Amino acid sequence: MNTSSRQPSTAFSAARIFELSLPQMLWSRRSILLALLVCGPMALATVPRGAWIIRPSQFTDATVGFDIYGLMIWLLYVRFIVPVLGVFYGTSMIADEVEDKTITYLFTRPIQRRAVILGKYAAYLVCTLLLVLPSAMIVFFLLVPVGGGTSIGVQFPVLIRDLGALAIGLAAYGAVFAYVGARVRRPLLAGLAFVFGWEPAMVVIPGYLKRLSVAYYLQALIPHARPPDDAGPPLIVVALRGLLEEPSALGAVVGLAVIIGLCLWAAGRAVEQREYVLEQ
Amino acid sequence: MPIHDQSYRRYTGERRPAGQAWTVIARTGLRLLLRRRGFFALMLASWLPFVVRSVQIYASANMPQLAFIAPTAETFRQFLDQQSIFVFFVTVFGGAGLIANDRRANALQLYLSKPLTRAEYVWGKLAVLMSLLLMVTWVPAMALLLVQLAFSGSFAFLAANAWLVPAITVLSVIQAGTVAAAMLALSSLSNSSRFVGLMYAFLIFFTDALYGVLRVATRTTAASWISIGNDIQQIGDAIFRLPPRYETPWPISLSVLVALVAAAAVVLERRVRGVEVVA
Amino acid sequence: MTVIAAEHLSKWYGQVIGINDVSVQVPAGVTGLLGPNGAGKSTFMKLVTGQLKPSQGTIRILGEPIWGNPALYFRIGFCPEQDAFYERMTGREWVRALVRLHGATESDAASLADRALEAVDLMPAGDKKIGAYSKGMRQRVKMAQAIAHDPELIILDEPLSGMDPILRRKSIRMIRDWARQGKSILVSSHVLHEIEAMTSNILLINQGRILAEGDVHHIRDLIDEHPHTVHIRADHTRELARELLAFDDVRSLRLEEEAVVVETTRPDAFYARLTELAASGSLGDITEVTSPDDNLQAVFQYLVKS
Repeated sequence: MNTSSRQPSTAFSAARIFELSLPQMLWSRRSILLALLVCGPMALATVPRGAWIIRPSQFTDATVGFDIYGLMIWLLYVRFIVPVLGVFYGTSMIADEVEDKTITYLFTRPIQRRAVILGKYAAYLVCTLLLVLPSAMIVFFLLVPVGGGTSIGVQFPVLIRDLGALAIGLAAYGAVFAYVGARVRRPLLAGLAFVFGWEPAMVVIPGYLKRLSVAYYLQALIPHARPPDDAGPPLIVVALRGLLEEPSALGAVVGLAVIIGLCLWAAGRAVEQREYVLEQ
Repeated sequence: MPIHDQSYRRYTGERRPAGQAWTVIARTGLRLLLRRRGFFALMLASWLPFVVRSVQIYASANMPQLAFIAPTAETFRQFLDQQSIFVFFVTVFGGAGLIANDRRANALQLYLSKPLTRAEYVWGKLAVLMSLLLMVTWVPAMALLLVQLAFSGSFAFLAANAWLVPAITVLSVIQAGTVAAAMLALSSLSNSSRFVGLMYAFLIFFTDALYGVLRVATRTTAASWISIGNDIQQIGDAIFRLPPRYETPWPISLSVLVALVAAAAVVLERRVRGVEVVA
Repeated sequence: MTVIAAEHLSKWYGQVIGINDVSVQVPAGVTGLLGPNGAGKSTFMKLVTGQLKPSQGTIRILGEPIWGNPALYFRIGFCPEQDAFYERMTGREWVRALVRLHGATESDAASLADRALEAVDLMPAGDKKIGAYSKGMRQRVKMAQAIAHDPELIILDEPLSGMDPILRRKSIRMIRDWARQGKSILVSSHVLHEIEAMTSNILLINQGRILAEGDVHHIRDLIDEHPHTVHIRADHTRELARELLAFDDVRSLRLEEEAVVVETTRPDAFYARLTELAASGSLGDITEVTSPDDNLQAVFQYLVKS
């Protein structure tokens, strides 16, 4: 090879890292385990579908299947699966390579370090989309006909919107946790605190702080009615909810795009400036 | 002057009977964990509810106008419920690396090349996590009973509620045992303690989320057995003779926990090996 | 030509100093970096390969600073010490994927990878998963990824660790071949005779400082000036001792159980005469000859004391 070769572009390098990382990510034990867990909603959806097939007369509500589907999108996908997959994979992008000590091979190549995180992010996105979107689609196909009041054809645009929202949610959480993983020493703690502490709190507090959460924008993209709270919300939260404004769909997409762009840029900078000292 | 032999000498002292090697693993594991400042701080923080409850007991015993906050049997049940958050964090940060770190350092081969059986190794690790969990559940709950005794100045409460001692013990052991077994099994599945912690969090919160969906969809709590946390709560209510908070009969909740422990045992039996064959 | 130039280079981790005010110029050709465990060899290697940023001072590789300069990696190949791979990939896939990161096309990367695997004698096992490789194969595939893109400067961190004697000899021969092809190589080790077999130009490092640099024979001469201890196990120690006392380069001698321990100022001459004595058989069997001094630790101890 020519010793004065031109450095490959960031896009080319990221693509190569993507090719290297995708099989590692996709066929790893953790992805297989997560795939099994993501089958949980599908298994759950077979119950009402089975009941509908066996005894349709027991369903008095004609759109019960669609309502349950909307509930699952909220409670399982938007509030749990999407952010947790973001934490799982996002915080591991660089941390896994450091733990496995394979990061040396990537950082001693003629590529920008930010290309490494961009390539891994792309691999993460493909991997999680392959896990989540088919699961949501299967749940949709299983549940929507239950009750008989609506059909797959009629609600298909809703499925497209849901899949779009889930995809952009995965992209946004992945970018946020890619930054957290690149910057913070204990990204797991930070990730769990963000997903299960910061976000649920920020969404209900009026003011500008809620714009610092992904959930604020993502929830504006979901076409289904918000589910009721578990034990009945405290009065103050009910009152506050009435005062909260939600962004428009376009505003939400723009907000999420800004979050993705900023976080990926910051993650790239963090990786370029940081020294990675491997355990001996 | 006699010259003493400075060379290697075989150990001729007393040897402990076989089958006690697990205590070495347990002691070392506890010592290493409690040496970490962050973890030690977490353990200290887990006693804050105890301090709050002690103040409550003191106030109710010494101020007649606050007699309405006097502890009842249900107070102890609520206390154990509130400690669940610390149970979660202690399990994640204390338990995730118990076997995963040994796997990463290839230490299983070293351990199992000593006169130590796999069962002793697992018992030792289980003892580490269970000790920690009992330190945040059973120990403060029993301490609270003693505080109640001390501040009230009479045995009346204890005499009337003597069943609280076995109740607290049984519930704490069930909670600690189930959670420790599950975490240990997950820890044996990976080399990365971070991934194990995430898996455990995923398991706990995902089963909760699934239950949430079913609860809203069916408008009943009959599916509470899906969530491990709910199962422990249901059994706790039964042990403390309180009205059950869910519609699931407590034997079903207990069966779920037994099945979980059995599954954990199967996983540990398969994963705790000295060598791993790579095809 | 200087391939590596360090100027007042220091690196510390919190309170621990890894490299302490090192100024050194590494010339083209093969240079051995020698030091005991914990001397700072790996830290120096990581500074040279741009994985760590200097806390103080500068380091230039092939005339350019390395930190934040990824284009330089076209000209550098690095074989790290750690045993870490993407275990699920085959050797060929792994080397190919890493070569692709240099901008090579698919077909170029394939032929470069094959060439590298051929060079390290790993072609037959190229399609086996790395997870199933033996220790020696793992070391070789690491070396393959370091040379696949035909770099000018190859940096090898403990490349012979875990290898059996035959493989060590082959690897040493391979390193000498690369040098003959015009490549510069910096190889680290804590075993003196392995480095001696590859090069005569060495850098000695201990506790983060460079102790000595230059020709290994000069270092050897320094050792030779220092009395050299030889431990000889034989059948007839007293008779052997009487013979050895007649050698004029024997400074002192003592008897141990079934052995004679000699201090000599001219070890080469001493060994030659000892060989003649052993061959003659007149003093019975000489069963073992060892030298506790003939190791790096002795060199360091001597250098630190002098």
